[in-house]
Amino acid sequence: MSKSVVILFGTESGNAEFAAEDMAAEVLDRPVEVIDMSDFDVASFSNKNLYLIICSTHGEGDLPSGALPLHQSLESINPDLAGIQYAMFGLGDSSYENYSKGSEHIDHKLSALGATRVGEYGRHDADTGTLPSARAVEWAKAILEAY
Amino acid sequence: MAQDLTPSVAIIGGGPSGCYLAQFLRKEFNESRITIFDCLPVPYGLVRFGVAPDHVGTKAVAAQFDRLFEREGVEFIGSTEIGRDKPLDEVMNEYDIVVLATGLGGDRKLGIPGEKLRGIYGAGRITRLINSHPFESLDELKVGSTLAIIGHGNVAIDLIRLSLLTPQELTLHGVSKDVALLVASNNLRQIHVVGRSGIESAKFDPAMIRELEKIPDVRFISDSKITNYENVEAKKRIEAINSLVSSSPANATRTVHFHFGWQPLEICGTSKVEEIRFKSHSDEILQLPGDTIYSAIGFEQAENAAIKIENLITKESDLEHGFIFDRLYCVGWLRRGPQGTIPVNRADAKKISERIVQDFKNKKLEKARER
Repeated sequence: MSKSVVILFGTESGNAEFAAEDMAAEVLDRPVEVIDMSDFDVASFSNKNLYLIICSTHGEGDLPSGALPLHQSLESINPDLAGIQYAMFGLGDSSYENYSKGSEHIDHKLSALGATRVGEYGRHDADTGTLPSARAVEWAKAILEAY
Repeated sequence: MAQDLTPSVAIIGGGPSGCYLAQFLRKEFNESRITIFDCLPVPYGLVRFGVAPDHVGTKAVAAQFDRLFEREGVEFIGSTEIGRDKPLDEVMNEYDIVVLATGLGGDRKLGIPGEKLRGIYGAGRITRLINSHPFESLDELKVGSTLAIIGHGNVAIDLIRLSLLTPQELTLHGVSKDVALLVASNNLRQIHVVGRSGIESAKFDPAMIRELEKIPDVRFISDSKITNYENVEAKKRIEAINSLVSSSPANATRTVHFHFGWQPLEICGTSKVEEIRFKSHSDEILQLPGDTIYSAIGFEQAENAAIKIENLITKESDLEHGFIFDRLYCVGWLRRGPQGTIPVNRADAKKISERIVQDFKNKKLEKARER
């Protein structure tokens, strides 16, 4: 049986949340939930779920403010995430240095805690003048076909 | 006024704060009539007319707001300035909840002698012009060979960058040709960028400085002698400026000179700007020649604003939570002053939407008890 989908977003301007909701609308064959990283409890990570994580970049390759609480609690609680599967989609703007680095902070943390990243590492470049939604939906479809 | 689960809401001002507020309120009030009024025929305010045209990633947030009108059933009424074309009282009678999101449309004045000389332009006016704002015109605007930008915020850095791009680059980003030829004039040789604070507390984001490194044929100079600082943010700013200076060519035909810690004293000239004088904390004087000045020291309520918030405030007002009086609220820059980027105003809109929803629920409870 395929896993339930939990879409976690970390946002600053709302673009990642927007894309998260659009991705959720495309998941028809299994339960799906969209959660703001700021409201997510790291103790609730479960291997019954597949986590689709979408996170923007702020300032000089930093995390967006919406992702800081999650990053901090991963750091302080250090949960054992062995067996947890997640896929990662990063937002950024290639006209700045440190393009799309924000999501990588979360990615490194999750990997270090034992979680396994699956599928392609998705990216969207805001310098194209488009919202990430369309690109993120494509990516999510490909991930969900495989996992 | 019919208001059960579906209070009608009017938002005055279709800039980022107003649009974000509509997004958050729509989540709570699914069936409500929500209307955004704007004095211009098109929505999005500063996203359209303030954000630099080459920052397409920042402007893309407009596509989020498009959906309000395309799918979320939010209504847009443009070319209607509340307080001028339609009285605020009338809006208060037609809607259950009214929120002012008109921002701060005026350039903050320098407040020094000589400010009325020709050749001095507010940053807001220049960015509106660059973004083809319908109420802005070239008029007497002239950019000479020596430009002084007063202020060290991100708007000042935008103006440096836009001045140094080629007119062709600007037109590719949608800037009209006559504005591009003027703002990015080939005659411009020197730009002085002067801020009151030291580099450690300057307002710009380091990422904005890093972006300048890509522009060819510019020598960057800084008068800051501070090379290290404990505060992490200050350190990033210092490193960004140092790197910009050290990576720039010595023999470029254009120069950008950063001056830190200088407060403007007076602007001198007979009919137009000729020289600007500044003072340091230790009373040293800096005299800069210049024929053009952009003042980029922040924004304030425009003198001709149709609704003045100070005339509406009562003893009951709680601006910290956006409450002006019963059923009237405010959000964004108008509420808390001209600080913070677009995402900061998103957070502000979220906070104010929570207060609005809470007030509405409390009222409903009261009514239920009365019955």
